[in-house]
Amino acid sequence: MPHVARTFIKTGFVFFMVALILGVALEIESLPLPRLMPLFWHALMVGWITQIIFGVSLWMFPGRTREEGFKAQIWAWLTYIFLNTGLVLRFIAEPMLLYSTLTIWDILVVGSAVLQVSGGVTYVIEMWPRVQSKKQRMRKRKQKRNR
Amino acid sequence: MPAPSRWLIRSSFGCLLVGMIIGALLLIHKSYPLHPAMWSLLPVHIELLIFGWIIQFTMGTAYWILPRYLEDSSRGNPALVNLTVVLLNMGILLMITDTLLLPKWPLALAGRAFEAGAVLLFIMLHWRRIVSYQR
Repeated sequence: MPHVARTFIKTGFVFFMVALILGVALEIESLPLPRLMPLFWHALMVGWITQIIFGVSLWMFPGRTREEGFKAQIWAWLTYIFLNTGLVLRFIAEPMLLYSTLTIWDILVVGSAVLQVSGGVTYVIEMWPRVQSKKQRMRKRKQKRNR
Repeated sequence: MPAPSRWLIRSSFGCLLVGMIIGALLLIHKSYPLHPAMWSLLPVHIELLIFGWIIQFTMGTAYWILPRYLEDSSRGNPALVNLTVVLLNMGILLMITDTLLLPKWPLALAGRAFEAGAVLLFIMLHWRRIVSYQR
């Protein structure tokens, strides 16, 4: 399993745990923690499920490069960085909107939104050409060998 | 990867991108209000990312990766799987149209019925493919 896939899956496990801790916190009525519900759902659906889909598909889908490293797998690593930075920024900035009027929190929320979409775009850039038939895969391999 | 899997997976990528863009707009709206009707996009965001992205991607990958039939090494009736792709995507589109344009028509009912039809076909196609080759 490539390094980037392992990193995605392990980070997914962390978000899975975070989501369930938030889920427990949501059930404790005496805890004064507003705006937790969207964070709970996004930790679960983006941090865990989407992240594990990204990790496993980057590993299992045909046409991946065997070479390790940031440069060799640039779109996959950019996806990891964008998605996770975006998520962490959201987890910090969104609850702060309620407690502070500083513009920095608004800017961080926008940054989080842009980063998460960028993560989606870089993932599709990496994966789109890898969704191919056996014939297309053989043709690509042949072209590579002939170069 | 067979053609129906490619269609399902590529369509799921489209849903992922559109769903994420809508989600980003909703998030930005919390800091910088964009439009009073912005929150009406929340069901579209959820529909695209749950049914369009996660479910569709899973179905596409399962059709490709699960063991084939032992008798003829096929993945089942091609017409049925093509119908699954059409029903699922029609269902998603109908659900979105219902939310955005025509809430008074019974489109949501038709949309969910199409999605249920797609899931039923998916289960029928894959039930006998959940096997072990070992005795």
